[in-house]
Amino acid sequence: MKTTYYSASMELSIPSELGYEVIARDAVAAFALRMGFTHERVEDLKTALSEACINAIEHGNMLAPNLRVNVACMCDNDRLLVEIHDQGLKHHTPAQMPLSMADKLAGLGSMRGMGLLLIGQLMDEAGFDPNSQDGNRFHLTLYRQHTVEHVPSQRTE
Amino acid sequence: MLEDELNVGIRQREGVAIIDLMGDVTTFAEEKINSAYREVTEGGARYVLLNFRQNDYINSAGIAILIGIVTEVNRNNQKLAVSGLSQHFQKIFRMVGLAQYAEIYQDEDEALQGFKSATTA
Repeated sequence: MKTTYYSASMELSIPSELGYEVIARDAVAAFALRMGFTHERVEDLKTALSEACINAIEHGNMLAPNLRVNVACMCDNDRLLVEIHDQGLKHHTPAQMPLSMADKLAGLGSMRGMGLLLIGQLMDEAGFDPNSQDGNRFHLTLYRQHTVEHVPSQRTE
Repeated sequence: MLEDELNVGIRQREGVAIIDLMGDVTTFAEEKINSAYREVTEGGARYVLLNFRQNDYINSAGIAILIGIVTEVNRNNQKLAVSGLSQHFQKIFRMVGLAQYAEIYQDEDEALQGFKSATTA
């Protein structure tokens, strides 16, 4: 089994209450800047992380105030990995294909549901860990060598 | 609950109803934004500009509110534009498809010029 050693790491724990994702976002953004990522990439990360935390708060922990969302950041020479882990009252199973704007305007579904679409476009990699037994684990990855604009979402498992 | 402050203002300039949105656009902003839109629409607005200012945080719930505004704008035969977004949020608006339904301008003056060009075209 391959072991990855990270040169820097940070962990946060926030309550399942909307608004706390901003605190996690700002802390992770400061960490990413400290690790040398560009302002533009950090802006992408801020949006993606906020959306991932909102999903964990709303869908994973179902807004239960006593449940926590843990955010772990690990950085090495190649990449920054952020894992968002909820306590999974509900297994989050997002729709395979988010509705287009035209479909939403036609009233074919909820106006919400843009979060995963944004994450997929903003991050180099993102996805759920399908083997997680203790809640939903979602990861975001930014590579230092970012050469392709808006790489589609990939599951790395 | 950590409610972020959004300050919403309404004004008129050169025949355009300008809704200033200062602060975070999240789920907590829904009532303020919809109320401002209703007010300008009831006042007969044909051209509506959402003028973003100091917006550090616009999330998918905030975008959902704006999609709702686009729906109403289409229903009411109005014309919608947005201005003042950072480069990052301009990119986000394009990613989700909002840019197809509302012209994106760098600032208010450019937006007013855009409305003027559209009416004389």
